[in-house]
Amino acid sequence: MADKDLELARLENDRQQRRDKIKTLILHVLLILACVVTVYPLLRILSVSLRPGDKLMSTSLALIPEGASLKAYADVLTTTHFLRWLWNSLLITVVTSFIGVSLASTAGYAFSRFRFPGNKLGLTLLLGTQMIPAGMLLLPLFLMIMRLGLINTYIGMIIAYSVSSLPFSIWILKGYYDTIPRSLEEAALVDGTTQFGAFYRIVLPLSTPALAIAFLFNFTSSWNEYLVARVVLSDSARYTWTLGLFELQGQFLTQWGMFAAGSLLVTIPVLAVFLYSSKWLISGLTLGSVKG
Amino acid sequence: MNPIVASLTEVFQMVFFVLWSVFLVEAYLYLHFKKYEEKWFTPAMLAGVPLAGLVYAITAVGPAIPGSIMAAIAMYAFLVELAAIPFFKLVVRGRYSLPLMMIAPGFIGLAMLIAYPLVFEFYLAFHDLKLTTLKVWAETGSIPFMGFQNFVDVFVKSPLSEVTFWRLLLRTLGWTFVNVFFHVVGGFALALVLNNEIKMKGLYRTLLVIPWAMPQVVAVLAMRGEFHSQYGFINVMIERALTAMPWLAHLGIQKVEWLSQHPFLTCTMINVWLGIPFMMVVILGGLQSIPKSYYEAASIDGASAVQKFWNITLPLMRPVLAPAVTLGTIWTFNNINIIYLVTGQAGGTEEADILVSALYKAAFTYNRFSYSAAFAIVIFAILFLVSMLWLKYSKGTDSAYG
Repeated sequence: MADKDLELARLENDRQQRRDKIKTLILHVLLILACVVTVYPLLRILSVSLRPGDKLMSTSLALIPEGASLKAYADVLTTTHFLRWLWNSLLITVVTSFIGVSLASTAGYAFSRFRFPGNKLGLTLLLGTQMIPAGMLLLPLFLMIMRLGLINTYIGMIIAYSVSSLPFSIWILKGYYDTIPRSLEEAALVDGTTQFGAFYRIVLPLSTPALAIAFLFNFTSSWNEYLVARVVLSDSARYTWTLGLFELQGQFLTQWGMFAAGSLLVTIPVLAVFLYSSKWLISGLTLGSVKG
Repeated sequence: MNPIVASLTEVFQMVFFVLWSVFLVEAYLYLHFKKYEEKWFTPAMLAGVPLAGLVYAITAVGPAIPGSIMAAIAMYAFLVELAAIPFFKLVVRGRYSLPLMMIAPGFIGLAMLIAYPLVFEFYLAFHDLKLTTLKVWAETGSIPFMGFQNFVDVFVKSPLSEVTFWRLLLRTLGWTFVNVFFHVVGGFALALVLNNEIKMKGLYRTLLVIPWAMPQVVAVLAMRGEFHSQYGFINVMIERALTAMPWLAHLGIQKVEWLSQHPFLTCTMINVWLGIPFMMVVILGGLQSIPKSYYEAASIDGASAVQKFWNITLPLMRPVLAPAVTLGTIWTFNNINIIYLVTGQAGGTEEADILVSALYKAAFTYNRFSYSAAFAIVIFAILFLVSMLWLKYSKGTDSAYG
């Protein structure tokens, strides 16, 4: 009797294990298929960037093309303004992010620690700005920048970018400050610092991770921006890299190799930073949206 | 001058300008919050604020400001200060000094670069600014008044050259619905698969978010290349299939002119590809927060996998899905990037445009400034209306679920 039960149980167990194995196999197949769809275009860029100049137009799907060469990389670095474009982007982006995060760091603290008239209203208005279509503000901003004579300048770009991520940054930082216990500041106040001193010396250093995330968010959104730059910049030497690559890709396929090489050079650091920071970015995103 | 040095100089000017503005704002607020009881306060402010305004104008713009404008600045500053002094002395009395001083720079920035442009947009919508009146406006600042004509034109005239407002509206609704639908379904499916105990989960997850992590410009332009009629991946595959199996041609399978014949379909496919990873990550986060014990209890009760999904997973995912779908809808509705990058060059088609991309083109390709200001306000009104309805609707269902 007991033997038979044991035998049955073993059979059942075997069947279960086999079923699990098949299930795992199916899951892996599905995931690999999905990964091919997401990664393949990136690999194609790599492949195009390695093509020798005379085989640029090719229907070959080989990942490493015949006669692979790095000439496209050399070309994009030497014959175009590519490095200049990267420098322009970097300069604009760093200054914008710096301004955005510094303004947000104090505003977030005020919203986190104080009750003052307009506290609630201010936070709601900040969320409300997220509803405004980007294309809607662009026209008046462009006309303002034009009237101030700032077309084709870094200053014009920085002005256009500087507050676009501010509401979101304020929300992220406020959320983070909320998690820092007030007792730390109270202890410092007893020791004779001012409230601002407590913020500056205690809360701000403790918030480094949140500040880094806000900085990164500002940074990526300006770094990858295209539409504003298209309107404000028209001189090729002042382009950001997004404009430059768009121009390279252009109508003619002759520069496709250079476009691919440039794209890859920009994408790899962006991918690295994104993947490294994605966990925090996502928690920041959901934080902002859940509270809204 | 060396271009690198020149660019650094220009940027440092900007940084200096911002720091200087912040300093002046904070100094103003400090004096008005902390020193309002001093005897010298009123006369010093009435004299000092107009002077500071002049100094600020000169340092920000340069010494070439005409005398009449200088006089106007000083007079306005004096008048504003005349009103501000009793306000600070009698109403504010130094309360809330720190929080207000801390938010002031940020909110002044937002007021100048979000609130003022919005007001300016309304001004533009009721006036007539186009390429022919632009020069006069840039010199004198005046443009002819139009009344509601621009708003009427939005519905009557094409924002671009052929496509009508109603067609754009319809296409936008289709675009938003189809994209969000596939983002959520695709994201949910991948998240469910990833939520199992499998090897190399981290690697899969990393590879799957690549479309989201890549710079959008690169991703879209690369995908556009794959839709090229001759060298793009899709048509190459179709061609190879046809050479290998010629009978496929009888089934009507042939190469497709994606970019010229089906631009809207192309844009939609690209955007679906781009948007799934974000939804997947958000949904995966939600799935991982559902306690395993719920599923174990359901298994003991003999529930099937489908029953578990409908009765445990979906209801518990509502708080995660609702904001993600709301955000996703607004983002998709407002997404200019994909369509502009795929079709935006000279000679580009209008057959893929949605409201916001038509707005961008009307303003910056066709230079119809006032027209597109009115157009923008109409689009914003639509978005606002839809969001209000959505909020009301989702609140309604909330209470229904208790």
